[in-house]
Amino acid sequence: MKILVIEDNRELLDLIAETLRKEKYVCELADRFSLAEEKVHLYSYDILVVDINLPDGSGLDIIRAIKKINPHAGVIVISARDSLDNKIEGLELGADDYITKPFDMAELVVRVKSLLRRRYYSGSDIITQGDITLNTSTREVKVGATLVELTRSEYDILLFFFSNPGRVISKESLAEHIWGDHMDLADSFDFIYSHIKNLRKKFTVAGASDPIKAVYGMGYKLEIN
Amino acid sequence: MKLIRRTYRLSLLWLLPVLLLGSIFVFFMINYVVYEETDEFLIYEMNRLVSFHREYNDLPDFHMVSDILEDVDYPEPVFKDTLLLESGDNEMVPYRELYFTIDHRGKKVTLVLRHLLVGEDDILRGTLLIVAGLALLVAITFLLMIKQVSGKIWKPFYQTLKTIRGFKINEPVPALPVTGIDEFNTLNTTVEGFLKKISTDYKRTKEFNENASHELQTHLAVIRANAEFLLNEPEAEKPDEKHLQAIYNATVKLSQTQKSLLLLSKIGNQEFNNPVALDLGEVLKQSLQLFRDAAELRDISVRQDIGKCTLQMDPGLADVMVNNLVKNSVKHNVKGGYISILLESSSLTIENSGHSHEGEPETLLERFKTGTKGNLGIGLAIVKQICDLYKFDILYRIEKENVHFIKVSFPKA
Repeated sequence: MKILVIEDNRELLDLIAETLRKEKYVCELADRFSLAEEKVHLYSYDILVVDINLPDGSGLDIIRAIKKINPHAGVIVISARDSLDNKIEGLELGADDYITKPFDMAELVVRVKSLLRRRYYSGSDIITQGDITLNTSTREVKVGATLVELTRSEYDILLFFFSNPGRVISKESLAEHIWGDHMDLADSFDFIYSHIKNLRKKFTVAGASDPIKAVYGMGYKLEIN
Repeated sequence: MKLIRRTYRLSLLWLLPVLLLGSIFVFFMINYVVYEETDEFLIYEMNRLVSFHREYNDLPDFHMVSDILEDVDYPEPVFKDTLLLESGDNEMVPYRELYFTIDHRGKKVTLVLRHLLVGEDDILRGTLLIVAGLALLVAITFLLMIKQVSGKIWKPFYQTLKTIRGFKINEPVPALPVTGIDEFNTLNTTVEGFLKKISTDYKRTKEFNENASHELQTHLAVIRANAEFLLNEPEAEKPDEKHLQAIYNATVKLSQTQKSLLLLSKIGNQEFNNPVALDLGEVLKQSLQLFRDAAELRDISVRQDIGKCTLQMDPGLADVMVNNLVKNSVKHNVKGGYISILLESSSLTIENSGHSHEGEPETLLERFKTGTKGNLGIGLAIVKQICDLYKFDILYRIEKENVHFIKVSFPKA
């Protein structure tokens, strides 16, 4: 899978590249509009991660270009602009997903994986970690043959972990994943903790080994033995 | 009241004293003319009689002498007014009399000429008729004139008014026409100046918002991603976790606050002007869906009565408003508490159990006001700002110590 990351901030660009390469994706980088435009025309990519605000052009124009050259390419917009207005424009142009700065790398990975599944892996939308199987098209979770009933949030959390095995995921990152801009809901009460507790309980009842490990003071981590 | 009606009313009011004075003037004028003519006629008759008498020493066959007084002497002719009884309709009628003396066969004889006068009541009636007719004519002329003249003179004013009313903050400043009237030119240049200032202020704030959001969020993203990266380093190489965690948390908080402040600023700057007719019930249902799990986790029972409510509103802002209200009711609730939501066509009411709060509940709608428990922060300030923008009425009340009650009333469309 080949991904082109377009972002004018070099440090952020390198971090995104490093994260995606760890996930075994081939990653190319462009830190300005002209370079991105050139690459889009010369090579073919499966996914574009595009920052809208570039010093020498608008990421929206790159989306327009790629949609002409290769309509099948997936596009994830990253923007610092408010989610309320640019989101619509980006999505209208054919972007598949939208993520606002600042974001956690774990979140970006989830979005990339989810987009790849939707675009290229049709039919193979089953993720297995240990003895737990997750079906992304039916949103069903099974331990062996036993169906585990999960609430919407619990499912989202589990998918987040499944997309980032081995990575430390903070409570904030989870809260943002579930509630987006309303993640401050988690401030006054340990909602995340309760969700995780319930998830663990359900897996234990279904006979699976608990895959979610607490990382003291920081968050959680999916660990499959 | 409309300008033209006000002009009519004031102008017609001015007519009243003019009409009053005019009536008095007309009355006296008619009176004067009547006397003048009568006197002239009587003097003419007197002269005719005197010269006839001088020639023939007698009075002519046809004369107007009404009375002959012997042994009465008027050295000069004298006019007198008198009232005589008109036997026909039994009424006192005014007469003008002229007394003059002639020498008849060595004796002084005074002749009295008498002529009927027009009664004052008749003059008054005539006066009123004249004035009334005239007033009607003047009033009609006035109205037509004002209509014509105002229409012409005030035209640039109405044009300016129309332009200002149609002005939209995100559109270029419209050019106001140069008129032939100095005052309107001053008005137009002043208004244009204001509009330009408003427009640049708007653009500058918008630019600032965009820059602040882009520049700050990008660097925040770098800090956050680096902190996240370090958190994932293998144990042996990991730096001081406590401090790393502090950096990460602060970055998350900062970016949240930043987003909220920018949102507030953008709402205040009226950057959301894309109103569509939307069903608030749908927005509310989606919002309840988003927070349902969270409510269930704390055993909060949710009662909802969602009626039909259509509003002209920016869909993004409707989401933000409803989500913040629902989130607030979940966040500041207690375990085993309740939320009761009532949506009617004219209002949205959310009642929930919560913690007690000292002081005025309305202050919770202000920025960074925090309750005693937990951080109320900025969510309600955003709701307030949206309500202000759309002229919704928002009420925050706390009943029985810990029942929180928020009501948003929508103005009638």
